Amino acid sequence: MASDSERITVSIDKDLEDIAPGYLENRRKDLELLPQALEKADYATLRVLGHRMKGSGAGYGFNLITEIGRAIEEGAKSEDAAAIRNAIDNLGNYLERVELVYE
Amino acid sequence: MTLGESVTGKGGGEPRGDGPVMGSPDHILIVDDDPDICKLISNYLAKQGFRVSIANDGRGLRGVLDRSHIDLIVLDLMLPGEDGLVLCRNLRSRSNIPVIILSARGEEMDRIIGLEMGADDYLGKPFHPRELLARVKSVLRRARTLPGGAVDPEDLGVYHFSGWSLDGPSRQLFSPEGELVTLSGSEFQLLMIFVSHPNRVLSRDQLLDLSHGREIEPFDRTIDMQVSRLRRRLRDDPRNPALIKTVRSAGYVFSARVEHKAAPPQE
Repeated sequence: MASDSERITVSIDKDLEDIAPGYLENRRKDLELLPQALEKADYATLRVLGHRMKGSGAGYGFNLITEIGRAIEEGAKSEDAAAIRNAIDNLGNYLERVELVYE
Repeated sequence: MTLGESVTGKGGGEPRGDGPVMGSPDHILIVDDDPDICKLISNYLAKQGFRVSIANDGRGLRGVLDRSHIDLIVLDLMLPGEDGLVLCRNLRSRSNIPVIILSARGEEMDRIIGLEMGADDYLGKPFHPRELLARVKSVLRRARTLPGGAVDPEDLGVYHFSGWSLDGPSRQLFSPEGELVTLSGSEFQLLMIFVSHPNRVLSRDQLLDLSHGREIEPFDRTIDMQVSRLRRRLRDDPRNPALIKTVRSAGYVFSARVEHKAAPPQE
């Protein structure tokens, strides 16, 4: 992963220009829900949120979101709080630095 | 996007690309509980000129089917309440609307079971919407195409074999007891190939080519699964099949005397 100060430029299909920002906005909402679910050890919710991120991220062009979602889903299955916390941190870091280019 | 909401391509229904071009746009139903996936697919397909409706679960699916004509269903496997596989099986028992299964579970068994339940294609999540679009077009094309290559369109008529009747123009199969047996598009196509090539060994490659399956699913076991499903429809014992026999290392042979009555000439 790039250092924390670097921007991450992601090329997005021009046909998705009107919905890609909204997708990232929804992930910012997840960033509030995920720590709350982890705090409550609500692994069922974590699993669903991770599963959805895994299934949708790369479809919008955000491959890293798919990877982070996979880590959250796997972490929820094994109830590995440390792995989930790490994945949430990665998501926050990614969302702060991601920059979209439409092609 | 809410349950049952419809989206139609922009520009007064004028499609982009080579989506639906004649008459009303093809109506695609997306069944998924993830709003981001629904938005991704509906937005993309609508831009290509399709009409799109959304359901979030089995109940929503049935509601849309009761109200609207649907040309193709994109069905997620992991749904709240009834599982997508159950919905696919129930759907297939009463309809031959083409189904493309989506799943993020990514297990080969899901793919196999999905196809065995009567789905026409399978796409793992995550997917690029362009790939889904290509599959939607391909499945719609296959569902509509007369089994050309396998059967000359002029040869369409009614085929009788072992008490069964397959009506080409109406795409209906009737059992020896006269009961209607619902076939998916791919099952109908495969049976048309068999009845038009009786008592002749057809390799899996030939069957794939004749059914145009190669262009949509380069999956070695596709034909085996379709044969397995077709045997069930024909009540053919898979351990000792009488109609569709496996020829080891060669393929399959449709072992029956087939009588063909040509369709009456069109006015």
